[in-house]
Amino acid sequence: MPVTVETPTEKWAGKVREITLGATAAEGGTRTSTVTVGGEGTMPFLHFEGETPHRPVVAIEIYDIAPQDWSPILMDYWGDVVNDVVAWAKKAVELGADAIALTLRGAHPEVNDRSPEDSARVVKDVLAAVGVPLIVYGPGAPDKDNEVLVAVAEATAGERLALGLCEQNNYRTIAAACMGSGHIAVARAPIDVNIQKQLNILISDMGLPLDRILMDPTTGALGYGLEYTYSVMERLRLAALQGDAMTQQPMICTAGHEAWRAKESKVGEGVPEAWGDWKERGIAWETVTATSLIEAGADILVMRHPEAVAIVKKTIDQLVAK
Amino acid sequence: MLIIGERIHIIAPRVRAAVDNRDAKAIQEMALQQVKAGAHVIDLNIGPARRTGIEVMPWIVETAQQVTDVELSLDTTNAAAVEAGLKVCKGRSMINSASAEANRFNAMVPLATQYNTDLIVLTMTEKGIPNEAAGRAEIAIDLLGRISEAGVPTERIYFDPLVLTVTSNQDAVIETVEAIRIFKQLSDPPPKTVVGLSNVSNGAPNENRPLINRVFMVMCMGAGLDAAIADPLDKELLEAVRTVATRDTSTPVKQLMVNLCDAVANMEELDPSLVDMKDPDQVAIYKTVQILQNKILYAHSYLRV
Repeated sequence: MPVTVETPTEKWAGKVREITLGATAAEGGTRTSTVTVGGEGTMPFLHFEGETPHRPVVAIEIYDIAPQDWSPILMDYWGDVVNDVVAWAKKAVELGADAIALTLRGAHPEVNDRSPEDSARVVKDVLAAVGVPLIVYGPGAPDKDNEVLVAVAEATAGERLALGLCEQNNYRTIAAACMGSGHIAVARAPIDVNIQKQLNILISDMGLPLDRILMDPTTGALGYGLEYTYSVMERLRLAALQGDAMTQQPMICTAGHEAWRAKESKVGEGVPEAWGDWKERGIAWETVTATSLIEAGADILVMRHPEAVAIVKKTIDQLVAK
Repeated sequence: MLIIGERIHIIAPRVRAAVDNRDAKAIQEMALQQVKAGAHVIDLNIGPARRTGIEVMPWIVETAQQVTDVELSLDTTNAAAVEAGLKVCKGRSMINSASAEANRFNAMVPLATQYNTDLIVLTMTEKGIPNEAAGRAEIAIDLLGRISEAGVPTERIYFDPLVLTVTSNQDAVIETVEAIRIFKQLSDPPPKTVVGLSNVSNGAPNENRPLINRVFMVMCMGAGLDAAIADPLDKELLEAVRTVATRDTSTPVKQLMVNLCDAVANMEELDPSLVDMKDPDQVAIYKTVQILQNKILYAHSYLRV
């Protein structure tokens, strides 16, 4: 006898906010394409339950100088373009980047200490070379981050960049810069749902509209805390769907940065033979980290190896197919 | 509601200094201040005091009982110190605390029988504190049998389900309230229940802590709480206790506190239509209930959202 089983679904009170990165000429910027993320009304990819109006996107991460500490696997792949940020950006777009994540590492006081003005010029050069939206990270030294990102924000007003990182102890300057120049702030909390929500509240209290705040829950790589990130993201998404207005920000995850810090991807010598081919392993490490984060609800993945990007984008195709 | 005054605690610098200098006057002032404010029991927390406990506990007990005859709670993990204190204690006394950890159980339970004391019992084992109410109840069932067998009357056993902080263990807070409810159903007559109240707001901004403590107290009262280790100088807390205990509904906020207690007692949600959303005090209470019941994710600025 045929049995009809009704698929159990949740009726959610809330949904994730939609955020658009990049502004076209008509919108006051110069982008030829923009990216809209968020809007999910269900836990990830439960198409029978709710909408996932926008697919997760992949930003490829590039530096303004040749990276000093990247895995040889990455450096071999990219080759000479790492010495020319404009060429690197173009190549990344050719290889499928939906957006470029530009880290202004050269501005770090312990690297090249590049000035805020020169750093802003680098960002302008990249904007001129590619049409996709940009995510711009400071060098990773709080005071310099502030100086550099303020200069970048002003020089690129209206482009609707995402600027980061706003952290619990250093968010005001960057959030204010975003406010004045029409940019989006990336709010990062240390794998902590309560701090993430608090940071969102603090930034929105300053007056930055909620459709201009992305949240970065801090990524742990496969084998290095990925499961903690996963459960934090799950909790944030559940809260968002339950109607908590301060957790409804789309999530951005730095999968590449974390995955390529792991010994398994970074190091090829002095590791057990059973670990197999180094290159394959590194790409797999980034791929598995990124796809797990997509399953946890990531909206934007910042990645490094184009072969991993290709696999992840294919996975996204399958996940969004109904 | 039995209020056990928490202010004589070794972590407070003033208390530490008074103990180190054997400053009897300072301890007596702190004890009297709490009694006057409405404490029924004074907790004497001297820390683990491995070396000095057997001198400090009798000293602090004698110091306190020179100025007050309220019940004293001897609060340390050092059983020799507890016994030394009980030997000199003239009035009613309480041991804080035993647990299901073998060492602590074996050391404290016989003292409670021998010296005829009240006994606070933490529902934790060597493995820690179970997150869910049922896990804590399971420990309480086992302990109730064994402690009764050892000769402590049920009505002198105070089960403490252990209060975790809303700032870092948000989902465990409501489990504590549910544990109280289950503890009260374990036997007839039921054992008593106690919480270390202020811990619920540990880590929260100071300006929010009294509100969180007070709302949590009312929720615990709804579940059947008998006693709380708390700050008797927190006037609004004691007023909330009185309000609920006497069912004082003379103001809208008091009415809301009584409604909250009733909702928890009836295992119902607090009906939002009973909250005047135009009254900031009522809204703050309602938001705090939602935080404590894990309905809304905690953030330090939760009241501003």
